[in-house]
Amino acid sequence: MAATGLAVSEQRRRVRRSALLWTLIAAAFYLGFIVLALSRGMK
Amino acid sequence: MAEVLTHAEPHDEHDHKPHGWRRWVYATNHKDIGTMYLVFAGIMFFIGGGAAMLIRLELFSPGLQFFDPQFFNSLTTMHALIMIFGAIMPAWTGLANWMIPMQLGAPDMALPRLNNLSFWILPFAFTLLIGTFFVPGGAPAGGWTMYPPLVLQTGAAFPMLIFAVHLMGASSILGAINVIVTIMNMRAPAITLLRMPLFVWTWLITAYLLIAVMPVLAGAVTMLLTDHFFGTTFFTAAGGGDPVMFQHIFWFFGHPEVYILILPAFGIVSEVIPTFSRKPLFGYEAMVYATASIAFLSFIVWAHHMFTVGMPLAAQLFFMLSTMLIAVPTGVKVFNWTATMWKGSLSFEPPMLFALAFLFLFTIGGFSGLMLAIVPADYQYQDTYFVVAHFHYVLVPGTIFGIMAGVYYWLPKWTGRMYDLKLATWHFWLSAIFVNVLFFPQHFLGLAGMPRRIPDYAVQFTDWNRVSSIGGFGFGLAQLLFPYIVWKCTRVGQSVGNRAWEGAHGLEWELPSPPPYHSWTEPPSDAVIARGAEH
Repeated sequence: MAATGLAVSEQRRRVRRSALLWTLIAAAFYLGFIVLALSRGMK
Repeated sequence: MAEVLTHAEPHDEHDHKPHGWRRWVYATNHKDIGTMYLVFAGIMFFIGGGAAMLIRLELFSPGLQFFDPQFFNSLTTMHALIMIFGAIMPAWTGLANWMIPMQLGAPDMALPRLNNLSFWILPFAFTLLIGTFFVPGGAPAGGWTMYPPLVLQTGAAFPMLIFAVHLMGASSILGAINVIVTIMNMRAPAITLLRMPLFVWTWLITAYLLIAVMPVLAGAVTMLLTDHFFGTTFFTAAGGGDPVMFQHIFWFFGHPEVYILILPAFGIVSEVIPTFSRKPLFGYEAMVYATASIAFLSFIVWAHHMFTVGMPLAAQLFFMLSTMLIAVPTGVKVFNWTATMWKGSLSFEPPMLFALAFLFLFTIGGFSGLMLAIVPADYQYQDTYFVVAHFHYVLVPGTIFGIMAGVYYWLPKWTGRMYDLKLATWHFWLSAIFVNVLFFPQHFLGLAGMPRRIPDYAVQFTDWNRVSSIGGFGFGLAQLLFPYIVWKCTRVGQSVGNRAWEGAHGLEWELPSPPPYHSWTEPPSDAVIARGAEH
């Protein structure tokens, strides 16, 4: 049992899914903004 | 009053922690990483503070005394970059690492290896940044805002600056992901979102802000990089670009950044004032919503930093009014902190002193911010020392005092020992007096027309500059007490019980002092949560 009261495997799954989601959001912002700016600038 | 025990408490010696350099280089424990962040922030605070002392030394008298103007401008630029990205932000991440798992009843941060990476990026970033002092052309001197075309004149330091900014941004984003994932997934049962301590709430909102705006800074500096090296003309008027566009993009990042620096201080003050008033926080939910409102409004006020560039009247009105709107949720907070103290049983230990000074002096910074928000008045204040006075009132007795309040509040928990309260009180009074001697005269200088970012000034500004410099030296020297107090605490401080302050509530105070290396490996019981999770 994890400290959150969930089964350890279930908690790991939730953490992994949440981390992946936020990493994708952050990466999309980070790279997206750079790529968008540069691609518009090259026109 | 502090509860001090006369004998050492038995502690859990079965921590199985690694020893030697591996404990720190391969650290995945939130307490170790929190400590590293705080030590790093302390080192950067003294390096950035050293630059500030040199600035005040040069400004002690009119005329050029010690430095050429280029080096002086490097000092102001590096002072800002080091203090913002090297001292304040890592200090908050250090406090988040130490406290969020303990306050939520979680065994650690959700992503310990990512935690290690986000810390260890920082020493490389700042070696690169501080290394610019030693390259041809010297350190960046175009201001921390990096406005083109001036910043494009930077010498060999330019790519180092851009890469360092990217590294700092990456570190902050990784830290923010970790905070969000931890808060959303690692809370103990029964710690619902609206039962979380205010420090956790303010950090959650700060983390969202970080993920939203650090990429904007990354995009802006990447465009600077391509303008400098790859022939683009994003910000070069001769090629069809627009230098003012950089200012819009920068401040779209820069204003939320101000709240990234201050929101966790709101959280700490919301922990400290109830403890030393022996009352629950007044209006907990209003505080949460006020914090969220401030964060939202921070996205729609950016152009108040650049009223004088020339923008349509409608835009000026919009940004003026939206900026003034921030006073509403901020006023809610100040009211609630004051109402928490109303009829409380107050005592004035160092964390409370720093929190009270925060309350008064941050409010002064808020008021001068309202003055700056008024467009016609801003035309007078723009780029004067009034602006310098304003943001230093927000960032020094605001953010730095918030960090001091937090460290003095939780240091007995971290070390299991009480620090020298008398010496810490001296630290407070010297800081509180000298910070006003340092920054208050800068209002007068600005209103009289002294421009910022200059090494020389007209003779009529001499007197208040001397007062300001004396305040600066006094404030700088007073800070030397801080590492001594912490060091002395870890060596000879008297042992304290679990609840180092009698009025303290929160799950962290249910743990032993110091907490075991691995805390909350079992979920806290309902009884512990009921006792500890009161606001």
